[in-house]
Amino acid sequence: MKNSKPPKLAEKFLLLFLKRELAEEVLGDLDEKFYWTIEKKSLRRAKLNYWYQVFNYLRPFAFKFFKSNSIIPTMIKQNFKISYRVLIKNKVFSAINIGGLAMGMSLAILIGLWTHDELTFNQYHENYDKIVQVLRKDVDDGEIKVNSSLVSKLGQHLEQSFPTLFENVVITFYRNRTLVLTVGKQSLERLGYFFSQDAPEMLSLEMVAGQASLKNKDGLLLSESLAKTLFQDKNPIGEFVQINTSVELIVNGVYKDLPLNSTFGDMEYMLSMELIYNEESPPTWDNYNTKIYAKLNEGINYQEASALIKNELNKNVDYDEPIDLLLLPMKEWHLHGEFEDGAQVASSRMIFVKLYVVIGVFVLLLACINFMNLNTARYQLRGKEVGIRKTVGSRRRQLISQFLVESILYASVSFVLTILIVWVILPWFNGISDKDLSMPWGDPLFWLAGIFFTLFSALIAGSYPAFFLSSFSPLKALIGSIKQGKSNIRLRQSLVVFQFAISILLMIGTLTVHQQIQYSKARPVGYDQSDLITVRGRSGEYYKKFDLLRDEILRTGYVEEMASANYPLMNTLGNNDGFRLEGQEKSYPISFNTIYVTPEYGKTTKWELTAGRDFTRVDGDESQNVIISESAAEQMGLENPVGKRLVAREGFGWESRGRTYNIIGVVKDMIKGSPYESPRPLMLFSSESEGYAFIRMKKEASYVEAIPAIQEAFQEILPGHPFNYEFVDDQYARKFRDEEKIGSLATFFSVLAILISCLGLFGLSAFVVEQRTKEIGIRKVLGASLPTLWRLLSKDFTLLVLIACLIAIPVSTALLNGWLENYEYRIEITWWMYVSAAVGGLFIALFTVSYHSLKASLGNPVDALRSE
Amino acid sequence: MKESKLGDFEETILLLVGILNNEAYAFKIAEEFETQTKRPVSIGAVHSTLSRIEDKGFLTSEMEAGSAERGGRRKRIYTITAAGQRALEISRELKMTLWNQFPAFAEGKLNFVLG
Repeated sequence: MKNSKPPKLAEKFLLLFLKRELAEEVLGDLDEKFYWTIEKKSLRRAKLNYWYQVFNYLRPFAFKFFKSNSIIPTMIKQNFKISYRVLIKNKVFSAINIGGLAMGMSLAILIGLWTHDELTFNQYHENYDKIVQVLRKDVDDGEIKVNSSLVSKLGQHLEQSFPTLFENVVITFYRNRTLVLTVGKQSLERLGYFFSQDAPEMLSLEMVAGQASLKNKDGLLLSESLAKTLFQDKNPIGEFVQINTSVELIVNGVYKDLPLNSTFGDMEYMLSMELIYNEESPPTWDNYNTKIYAKLNEGINYQEASALIKNELNKNVDYDEPIDLLLLPMKEWHLHGEFEDGAQVASSRMIFVKLYVVIGVFVLLLACINFMNLNTARYQLRGKEVGIRKTVGSRRRQLISQFLVESILYASVSFVLTILIVWVILPWFNGISDKDLSMPWGDPLFWLAGIFFTLFSALIAGSYPAFFLSSFSPLKALIGSIKQGKSNIRLRQSLVVFQFAISILLMIGTLTVHQQIQYSKARPVGYDQSDLITVRGRSGEYYKKFDLLRDEILRTGYVEEMASANYPLMNTLGNNDGFRLEGQEKSYPISFNTIYVTPEYGKTTKWELTAGRDFTRVDGDESQNVIISESAAEQMGLENPVGKRLVAREGFGWESRGRTYNIIGVVKDMIKGSPYESPRPLMLFSSESEGYAFIRMKKEASYVEAIPAIQEAFQEILPGHPFNYEFVDDQYARKFRDEEKIGSLATFFSVLAILISCLGLFGLSAFVVEQRTKEIGIRKVLGASLPTLWRLLSKDFTLLVLIACLIAIPVSTALLNGWLENYEYRIEITWWMYVSAAVGGLFIALFTVSYHSLKASLGNPVDALRSE
Repeated sequence: MKESKLGDFEETILLLVGILNNEAYAFKIAEEFETQTKRPVSIGAVHSTLSRIEDKGFLTSEMEAGSAERGGRRKRIYTITAAGQRALEISRELKMTLWNQFPAFAEGKLNFVLG
């Protein structure tokens, strides 16, 4: 430990401001503290603590320039007083200045917090560096695909065969479903994860009460919030919870809720995988329904381990094409967890991280530019002040410090305002971004960055007047011959162009995102979503009594029809391949979305039959019939599919021999998967009763009456069965959540950018008009009309905005086309979007500028000419 | 006129100076504060308070040779002055009179309340 020294930089920083006579004792004390901390804690903590201590010496008593016999404190006080008066005198100007910078900084902080949250995804888990996920790589249609669904036996196999590589291996379901939890009379439907017994330790669950153990197969671990909902203030440890009204589990422990930025953030409770796989029903080598996670042993490299287990599946199962295994470390799950043709690529999430960072930097840049631009513009009006100060004997250094103090004051006020703004809008921002961010009040790095940035922009903004204005001879300054050079105007103009280019770019972006959402929302889905609710059946009773249930619900009089299917309307699960047309040798090379429905499915969903007939009850056995979708017919290459016969592969529909089905009807494609993709070819088979029930209410029925009546009928037939209904259109609307989030964030960004640009333009036009007051007065006296004056004052800005459009349009086209390529079902960017963004930008700019130009043009020329 | 009142934190620091005797310098006082009160405090905060108390005349200080772990740098040892002693006594007396007027305490029932 002898070679560990206190951080040099911190020491230097301390000596920068610390009174010289205090240096020896303070450095001594801090050294002692440093070595003490190393011994008690760690080197890292000691270094951090050293910084902390140094910052805590930022107190008046220790400051150099508070030397009692110095004139400097008085001077600084004086500087502050003058700055304060200037700030108050130009209220509007100051507000624009400070507000603009604050907005930019707020956005930067929000994006910073968001990015930090994304980059620290999963770091909550203490074994972050050791946890890996097992993936498989197989060839499908000549394309290499990487999947996380694995056979249930593999977990156990890896743990037993590679004790040197893995400390432990756990499995969970590929797709964990919500289950109904019952305590006493209360029933809730919540999402839990089945896990092998080592999972609580592997994921380092922080226990609030009880044991982090799933050793007993009927054990249950609850999250703190769920424990509170189920048991209120009662101690839940050792209590019973009934799962899906069948199995009783004992609460072993309560853990602290996992943060949202964890892969397992949606887990509300954990139960034992042994409930599913145990001695009686052992895991198998053929069912791809689990995900496998492992914790590597100390010192094991995941790439080496990956190479060692590569062939474990092939060794145990006979595949046509070999399936290789690989490991993906936890730190890459979130932002680098996608694969393209077998190669690891950055995930779509990462693209957003980058995009937001770019936007954040740009908006911040806008705000800074404004701040500097406005300040510089305004300081030019203060040439006289400089002249007088100089004449009275002010030294240049004092002038410099005056201007610097002033801009530091402005920047500091904005920083305080920023903190306030962020604090206020953080809950709203969390809502639209689906995050759980909080203000890092206690993070020294956050404050350091904030203060650094504030000072940085203050110095840049203040340096022009401080060093340039103060260099003039008092005479020149007094007669007011400080004129801005050509280059200065150019600079300012290009800044305005830059700002508006970004604003217009964001406007076009926002329009496109919203158009895309509207367009896909309006996409025909192939059935009628309104007045349609869905309920999930969960018990054996439900399946047995489905017909009875349907009769009872129809009897309420509010319901038009009711049906059920084995999958919801919201996904394309249930896929099978190996179908062929009767009489042909080769089966179709694609897989179809195959679902089972009761005969009333068509009437309930109101699908659109384009040929043939629907299933019926009266015609007796429908089990040999199939209805296909238009895209399925197209994929099969059938012009008139009705009447053709399809042969399924062996094993389909639990038939050992391939069964033959008659195609009896064709329906319009139903959009069940992503609303942005082409529809999956669909095959519908007839069945007696299935898990997902759909209830079509009559158009004229009011929900307030209908739903309680349906619920009553439901519970009459199935007492104790939860009636958790959902509207199908709500479920569908949820598919747009990601895009809507992007939409609201884009709106937020562009509103901010436009606001900031406008503030800048507003201030700048005020300044320009002020400079030309006399000119306007004279023109007016000579008979210039209001429109002429307005045109005179506005045309410069108009030109700038037009140039900005010319820059923004090609850039936005390139960026947005890239974004739209993610969607199969998408809009084209059309000319009117550009036009409306450009016109919008121009209108906003003119509106902003007009305030000042009109005010000046309407004023009495006498006042203008008299002004000094 | 200099202020001569003693704040709560100042009083604690002053007492710690008394407790630590010859070892009363900023780092040690901060350590002692943390162990006694279980609250974190920065050396800077303690140092600033010490210098404030010194200005009030309740403390004097002197530089003394330092050990190796502080790189041989000297340390400033604080000692309580007579005025400091008085200020502490006054403060304690005031609190005791107040406590004695507190009926529950005077009747010895306070244990129950605290317990």
